[in-house]
Amino acid sequence: MSIAIQNFEAQELYYPEIAEISAVKRFTAKEKWFEITLPGGRSLGHQPGQFVQVSLFGAGEAPISVTSSPTKKGAFELCVREVGMLTNVLHSLETGSKIGIRGPFGRGFDVESFKGKDILIIGGGIGIVPLRSLINYVIDNRKDFGRLIIAYGAKSPDELLYPEELVQWENSKEIEYHVTVDQGTPEWKGNTGVITTLIPPLDLDLENTIAAVVGPPIMYKFVLMSLKTKRVPDENIYMSLERRMKCGVGKCGHCQINHSYVCQEGPVYHYPEIKNLQEAI
Amino acid sequence: MEKYQLNTNKIESFITHLKNKGKVFAPHKSGKNSFKFNEVENPDSVVLDYNRTLNSIKKYFLPPREVLLSFSKKEYSFEKSTIEVEKKIFLGVHNYDVKGVLRLDYNFSQGNPEDNYLKRRADSIFIGVSYEPDEYHFSQSVGIPLHDTEGFDIYLEKNDSGYTISAITENGQSIVDGFDGFSEEQAAPSNHVQFKNRLKYNYNRLPEVFEHSWNASVWEEVSKRCVGCGTCNLVCPTCYCFDVEDNMDLSLLQGTRERNWDGCMLNSFAAVAGGENFRETLAERQRHRVYRKFKYITDITGEPWCIGCGRCTAYCTAGISIVEIVNDLCDEYEAKYLNRPVEQSGLNAARL
Repeated sequence: MSIAIQNFEAQELYYPEIAEISAVKRFTAKEKWFEITLPGGRSLGHQPGQFVQVSLFGAGEAPISVTSSPTKKGAFELCVREVGMLTNVLHSLETGSKIGIRGPFGRGFDVESFKGKDILIIGGGIGIVPLRSLINYVIDNRKDFGRLIIAYGAKSPDELLYPEELVQWENSKEIEYHVTVDQGTPEWKGNTGVITTLIPPLDLDLENTIAAVVGPPIMYKFVLMSLKTKRVPDENIYMSLERRMKCGVGKCGHCQINHSYVCQEGPVYHYPEIKNLQEAI
Repeated sequence: MEKYQLNTNKIESFITHLKNKGKVFAPHKSGKNSFKFNEVENPDSVVLDYNRTLNSIKKYFLPPREVLLSFSKKEYSFEKSTIEVEKKIFLGVHNYDVKGVLRLDYNFSQGNPEDNYLKRRADSIFIGVSYEPDEYHFSQSVGIPLHDTEGFDIYLEKNDSGYTISAITENGQSIVDGFDGFSEEQAAPSNHVQFKNRLKYNYNRLPEVFEHSWNASVWEEVSKRCVGCGTCNLVCPTCYCFDVEDNMDLSLLQGTRERNWDGCMLNSFAAVAGGENFRETLAERQRHRVYRKFKYITDITGEPWCIGCGRCTAYCTAGISIVEIVNDLCDEYEAKYLNRPVEQSGLNAARL
């Protein structure tokens, strides 16, 4: 097979846009929230579930999920765990710091096809970060969707993110919010146990419920078993996969699972697409 | 297609002729037994009769290290890297290596066509040369027979008094046209040589084998010998994975962002911050490497991404052979799914 390469319109793929950190908040010992303003205050133009490559000169680049909803115009938001070299440097940055951004990249949640459906959010740990984009999208388009059910699990109460919003979710009549922690504290009055303990008691309209699942790799297997037991059809399940990514544009090869580049066809997958894909889950 | 006779004593003047048309790159001797593509300075140092070069011409389109941008931390600004399109003539390319370039063309033009690669790749002329397969070449098994000239502009086939030159494309013809050193008499081609090494199944039968090879015992067996050094990735003409990293200069105020060749056999390749490694074992990584050459992209394009050059085997630090891996998969597939006995000998030579 020979390709006439001169027929392709070559693109500059690796140059970041220089943006600014316009607000920073610490959520937990390990996680901080950042608001990023692009030049001219332009919106990022992303879908819930998509990611950007955060680019810090001297530290490199890393894929980070967008945590704000596209319904929020202007600046977008990231929530980042301090876990590697780039995130270490990012955590040291303050309001007014410059930051490089490439993206948005990948495939997000197909929110158009979710319309009219009940939305069940299942988030473990920092899995809630990309899901919060979807949650806020549903909240901002409330009449387009059915019930909004959130099941959120963290290791301990002090690892729960978005403390102010959790109170709003808890108090909202339009949101069914369930939270659990693996390990409680004397002050913790809520559920204890892993995230799968939240699933059996849910009263779901199975055919009409979309489950959006994001969490650490270990979580998927168990959540999928719980959803199966609950008889949620596979076709109604969406999930986001984490992989190493260096380019975000389907070139560097790191995120490949079988024939699929997670940065292109993911990170959000429809479960039937990856159910039989070795190495995916 | 016009054919010309280039006698041995005219090869140097032909190379000089090429040098007037653009930068010429050709194989040179490098060390005792190895060869290397370099830019030609002296036509008499070019070696057209060689078994394989350590690296393929991939290095000219996807350099081992490439500056993507230069940045200033202080200003928080960057300068784009500049890639100049220049005419390049690659002389003495074996046909499997030009097929390797055609495979890379697919990877870098599909989806998001990449500027860096396509600029370097533009305006390239490929002049092929016939070769005598050694114990590692098996291109025939992956659909690249000797004298397959797809991808070449000009092809040189060895004969008793030099080379028979065929101008294949218009570009090739225009290069040949200005040269007046051809001989009137056409010489007969040299004796036809054959491949000594081959896969048990031709590449078009391999998809059915790979369909059933995910849990084959071969992966675990091979991983006992593999040291995970990634040499097979680095020398492969169709391996294109890269890493990106920033390098600060000593002032710590500015630096460069570079991309470097990476390899899926390396432990860190699929590891993410936080400790998760999505292909933690050598067996998983070998399987990934071989599936990438024979299944993942092949399912989409119909062509194997292995071009049968034998480099990964010839240069493997642990003596692992990709032909033996694939042949063992074929054996296991036959034994498990076709109810045929596995041949007793595990030696590849016994299968020929």
